[in-house]
Amino acid sequence: MLRYLAKRGITYVFMIFLTTSAGYFLAVSSLKPALLEQERIPRPTPEQVANSMRLKGLDPDLSPWERYVEWLTAIVTRWDWGRSPNGAFINAEFGDRVWISTRLFLASIVLTLVIGVALGVYSAARQYKFQDRVITSYSYLAYIVPAPIAYFLVQLGAININETVGERIFFVTGISTPGLEPGWAQFIDMLAHYAVPTVAITLVGWGSYQIAQRQYLLDNVNADFVRTARAKGLTRNQAISRHALRVSFIPVAQSIAFTIPAIFAGGFFAEKIFAWPGVGSWSIDAISLQDVNAATATLAYGSVIFALGAILADFATTLVDPRVRVQ
Amino acid sequence: MSSEIAAGRVEQPQSPAERLHVAGLHAPSDAILSVRDLNVRFNTENGIVHAVRGVDFDLMPGKTLGIVGESGSGKSVTSLAIMGLLPTTAEVTGSVRLKGKELLGLSDKAMCEYRGNELAMVFQDPLSSLTPVYTVGTQIIEALTIHNPGMSKQTKEARAVELLAMVGIPSPKERLRAFPHEFSGGMRQRVMIAIAIANNPRVLIADEPTTALDVTIQAQVLEVLHTAQEETGAAVVMITHDLGVVAGMADDIMVMYAGRPVETGAVDDIYYNPRMPYTMGLLGAVPRVDVAEKSSLVPIEGMPPNLIHPPTGCSFAPRCPLASDACLEGEPALAPVPDGPLHLAACIKSGSLGGDVDVLDVFAAPPVPVSRFDAIPREERATVLQLKDVRKHFPLTRGALLKKRIGTVKAVDGLTFDIREGECFSIVGESGSGKTTTLLEIMEFHKDQDGEVVIGGISNKKAADARAKSAMRRELQMVFQDPTGALDPRFTVYEVLAEPLQNAGMEKPAIRKRIMELMKLVGLQPDHVNRFPNQFSGGQRQRIGIARALAVNPKLVVLDEPVSALDVSVQAGVINLLDKLRAELGLSYLLVAHDLSVVRHISNRVAVMYLGKIVEIGEVDRVFDNPRHPYTRALLSAIPVPDPQLERTRERIILQGDLPSPLDAPKGCNFATRCPVFAALPKTKQEKCLTLEPPLLPVTPSPAAQTLAADPLPALDQRFACFFPDGEIDEDMLVVHEAADHHAP
Amino acid sequence: MTNLNAVDPAAVAQDAHLEGADVVIGKNTIIFRRFMRNKTAVAGLAIFLALTVFSFVGGYFTQWDKETIDPFNIGMPPSAEHYLGTSQAGIDLYAMTVEGTRISILIGLIVGLVSVLVAAVYGCTMAYFGGKVDKVMLFILEALIMMPALLVVAVATSGGGEGLKRDLPSWLLLIIVLLVFSWMGTARLIRSLSMSLMQRDFVKASQYMGVPARRIVWRHLVPNIGSLLVLDITRGVTGAILAEVAFSFIGIGIKVPDVSLGVLIGGATSQVQTFPWMFWVPLTVMFLLTGSLAMMNDGLRDAFDPSSSSSGSAKKRALKTRVKGNAS
Ligand SMILES: Nc1ncnc2c1ncn2[C@@H]1O[C@H](COP(=O)(O)OP(=O)(O)OP(=O)(O)O)[C@@H](O)[C@H]1O
Ligand code: SF4
Ligand code: SF4
Ligand SMILES: [Mg+2]
Repeated sequence: MLRYLAKRGITYVFMIFLTTSAGYFLAVSSLKPALLEQERIPRPTPEQVANSMRLKGLDPDLSPWERYVEWLTAIVTRWDWGRSPNGAFINAEFGDRVWISTRLFLASIVLTLVIGVALGVYSAARQYKFQDRVITSYSYLAYIVPAPIAYFLVQLGAININETVGERIFFVTGISTPGLEPGWAQFIDMLAHYAVPTVAITLVGWGSYQIAQRQYLLDNVNADFVRTARAKGLTRNQAISRHALRVSFIPVAQSIAFTIPAIFAGGFFAEKIFAWPGVGSWSIDAISLQDVNAATATLAYGSVIFALGAILADFATTLVDPRVRVQ
Repeated sequence: MSSEIAAGRVEQPQSPAERLHVAGLHAPSDAILSVRDLNVRFNTENGIVHAVRGVDFDLMPGKTLGIVGESGSGKSVTSLAIMGLLPTTAEVTGSVRLKGKELLGLSDKAMCEYRGNELAMVFQDPLSSLTPVYTVGTQIIEALTIHNPGMSKQTKEARAVELLAMVGIPSPKERLRAFPHEFSGGMRQRVMIAIAIANNPRVLIADEPTTALDVTIQAQVLEVLHTAQEETGAAVVMITHDLGVVAGMADDIMVMYAGRPVETGAVDDIYYNPRMPYTMGLLGAVPRVDVAEKSSLVPIEGMPPNLIHPPTGCSFAPRCPLASDACLEGEPALAPVPDGPLHLAACIKSGSLGGDVDVLDVFAAPPVPVSRFDAIPREERATVLQLKDVRKHFPLTRGALLKKRIGTVKAVDGLTFDIREGECFSIVGESGSGKTTTLLEIMEFHKDQDGEVVIGGISNKKAADARAKSAMRRELQMVFQDPTGALDPRFTVYEVLAEPLQNAGMEKPAIRKRIMELMKLVGLQPDHVNRFPNQFSGGQRQRIGIARALAVNPKLVVLDEPVSALDVSVQAGVINLLDKLRAELGLSYLLVAHDLSVVRHISNRVAVMYLGKIVEIGEVDRVFDNPRHPYTRALLSAIPVPDPQLERTRERIILQGDLPSPLDAPKGCNFATRCPVFAALPKTKQEKCLTLEPPLLPVTPSPAAQTLAADPLPALDQRFACFFPDGEIDEDMLVVHEAADHHAP
Repeated sequence: MTNLNAVDPAAVAQDAHLEGADVVIGKNTIIFRRFMRNKTAVAGLAIFLALTVFSFVGGYFTQWDKETIDPFNIGMPPSAEHYLGTSQAGIDLYAMTVEGTRISILIGLIVGLVSVLVAAVYGCTMAYFGGKVDKVMLFILEALIMMPALLVVAVATSGGGEGLKRDLPSWLLLIIVLLVFSWMGTARLIRSLSMSLMQRDFVKASQYMGVPARRIVWRHLVPNIGSLLVLDITRGVTGAILAEVAFSFIGIGIKVPDVSLGVLIGGATSQVQTFPWMFWVPLTVMFLLTGSLAMMNDGLRDAFDPSSSSSGSAKKRALKTRVKGNAS
């Protein structure tokens, strides 16, 4: 197993290196922070701009290849991912933002999975009954709404609630109210900030799990081994819950492992709409600010998360499926 | 009463119970399981499928009822209806009584008290019938827990070990913790049997328990079933399409056709004195492994009726050679035949179908075809295929994720043989013995192969360029095992047959003409060329596959299990066709089959393979009548023959275990791990088997014959690779069911 | 005691067979009939066609276009003059919606069709060559899957002073980027499907008959993955429309002055309370578009599925690809 992981790990490191490098070249050749700098008022001279850029390691006069070598050396030797045009250090900024993103998504991921899988099982058990049709139709609906629009609609709903009640119950943007005393008030404030994004992400997310779990379970309810279990003297429902359910988890576990990173890396929409300064919104800001290093760092982050997800998927499969366990 | 039956028509059928009673069958109260007028209907999109139509039987304690019939005749549905395991869309009527208690109509919950307890079942496909994510032990213990909530954990485990030991799984204690995928098919089926007998059932239903298994493993599993029945005293319902399987173990037989029993009676009556054309056909359709008969098989043409339309006359009439107008007036009832009240048949002509009627006459079996090559001695015929020391080794890896090379599988290990014109050469052996790999190596025809393949004078070593290859392809064609998978579902028959012809560069009109010829040749209607494969039956599809292989006039046709996917009745037609084509077109065949009866019927020479090597090769009648290698002897003895008396008294060699993993392949004789002779040898002689590899040597005529003959006798066409061909068979592996053992009805 | 009435068993058998299938129907006809029997699917097709026609000819029903400002009607609700009202810049919403719908459909169709085409070529090539070629191509594929598409979209569409950007309208640029990142999943699916097809006996039969590989791919592989391709086209179109809306919504896809449904919806969010029609009209159109496509997809899948009962179970086998589709 270890050797296998090592092998996969090396492949992925290589792949991450390639994607990140490609990303860097794309960014370095299309993002020109110097141009933005020149639109400042008072307008700096081109020499001034070039000088300030050079100080931050963003020399616009160097060729992409020279800058790439410089950038890579810094990472390899000092684990220094460079600086932004505004002078901020990528490493520090990144640390803060990863934490914010994680806080935003952790609760939603857990809720999404639990609700999705539970509803999948529930609707499979009631195939073609009223409840099944409602639940499954909802999931299909979630499929045809772009995520940001769904988030926005939830936000609208929260605003409407606030207006109807007449006071601010939910915060629809931001992560906390600054300057609150630690304690009860801060806790309530946190809940008020978390509620809307968490609900929104969960509402959008569970549909695909519900459909998947439902389908895999239905694929298995008529399996031969369920019949064997019934022939032993289990009722149909017992046989399904003890045998079919466990087997239907195998593919679901795999897709879960794959989508956790997808939620993380695909979090720009949520962060953008709910104005949480996480990695996702940073990446988009980085581009509008022509920030080569930040853009590349977020891209690398996305690749790493993906690779982790892929390895996690292998792990998950091994965990639930004895057939692929390595002796 | 009897006059009515003689007239062949029962206007108003009596109630089934009454009918059986009148017929003198057991009073229902003695029976452990009694089924009356069982009817099952499925509501499908196309209409109501009446899958089971009026099944009646009584099963006495400790007895065995065999249910036979071709695919779709309602055997499985009947058994599932008894178990209450049919989907809710099925409508079940009639009566199923277990020890007098009615089971039909019980709720799922109420049925659970009987299922797995007094009523147990073993299913056909052992590979998919165990839950992959639980250990074997968990699954056996579950069966115990359900019906014995009070049992302690230790007791249950001990019982599980005992059960595994009973079904013959070595080191059962350790094996409890194994997962199903770590077991071979035969072992999984043993586990299924262990689960079924866990609670000492009164009735055990086995639905084709050995169909998916190799003959040697089938023999083991049947033996286990036999033991299980002895241990538990359960009555058994044995469902099968193989008349050989039930011949030895059943007391009574029920033949089903189109959802109905068409003939029932004691096993001897059915086998020796069938009174219904369908039963006669079935018996005549199976080739026998134990006789060197050279008569054609009985083909039952056509397909079973569609169960959506209620039959107006005898449901067998469209395929029955004896059908007359009278047969179409109402379905004949199951009625006693003249020779005994316990023997019933549903045929208006059963009275005239006594024991002296020859089934070959009834079914108008074609005459035995004679090939023009048969008269020429083998040595004088040209060689169409020659293999010289062909090898194919695969690296063996373990682990699904982490592939680790742990050894080499010698799938084919030094094969040498040749095939002459007009000859059918067969390769037999268990699955995993390397038969298919051999075929693929021949079809591959590649320069870099290990060993030489010569096809029609073209050697893979010398001329493997494109030209030579295409010349070779015209000499050699292949027919596949699965007739459905071998035909592109999107091609019409015309396109299927045109492909090789276009490829050979033929013109359109010539192609058309050739296709019409081919259709006629394989017995298909020429105007069916525009149909798609899914509009044909399995047998017809296989005929299309054969026609495609013959399109370019090859000399040699490679047949990979050409009939194993077909029903017995259909199989006979295809075998006859192959026989006829060989004779008429002077073809040679290379046939791979696991069914030794089929092999004996159509081949001239045979090679027995074990772990990539030929262990015995020679003229088919010599090898089958006088097998020298212990493996050949075991294989032959594993095959059940459709002859109840013979089956009951026959001794059989039951090999232990499965084909060994190629890694454990011993240094000396491959077969030593399972060899029944080796096991009985004294230590000193065993040494030889373990260290030396036995060479393939010809059988020499006995010294007595040598001295009698004036000239030195030529070597016989039979060679084998064993040091002790005359050795005693180990007693543990020799099973004789004593006649007393069998409670004759 | 031989044939009493000399019925030729073969002939009887053939007749019995004929009863079952006396009309030989082509496969395409069967699929077409099955599709037409599925009311939802037909409704979806009708809606989609109606929207497409609307997006091309709808412009002729009004005198306004997407650029002209009506200084007398600024931020007006729907009226006889402006069927769907005007924006707060005074531009006719109807005209903009027609234009936006057309751009969205165009993006969807181009991306859907071309990406499936690319995927088919790429996937079949991998399956056909196998070995080293397959390994390298698979590596490239996975590397592309790893790249967060959105970032690249953003970089490509927002890069400063690029020649590319100046010369191309933003919708075309978006199409290119979406194309680059939309075909990999399908390619992988096609690869595994073709590989299993290569193992099928009928392909082996052709190989053993000496049929050249090129012909095998064209005559056996492509037709047999055809249904998958059609399904993937509808799915790809939906995915592209959704992606356009999502990206434009947060301001990194299509940029003004180009119009698309995403731009319209995104631009209206700030005034959803004051000018609600600006938001809901394009959103409804988008729903009709993606919804109708989803309905069609369902019907098609059912029509292609040989084992389908084509009634009641319309929602079978839906997800495997969707799970992933949804996450992005
Ligand atoms: N769930 C079902 N729905 C509809 N029809 C069914 C169903 N199960 C079985 N049938 C039909 O009932 C008939 C009898 O099937 P059954 O499985 O009992 O045959 P069988 O004799 O066991 O055949 P085999 O030898 O292939 O196992 C067939 O025509 C089959 O198509
Ligand atoms: S009743 Fe007639 S058709 Fe039926 S089996 Fe008897 S002879 Fe044949
Ligand atoms: S050589 Fe020995 S082990 Fe091999 S088959 Fe003969 S007796 Fe058995
Ligand atoms: Mg069956």
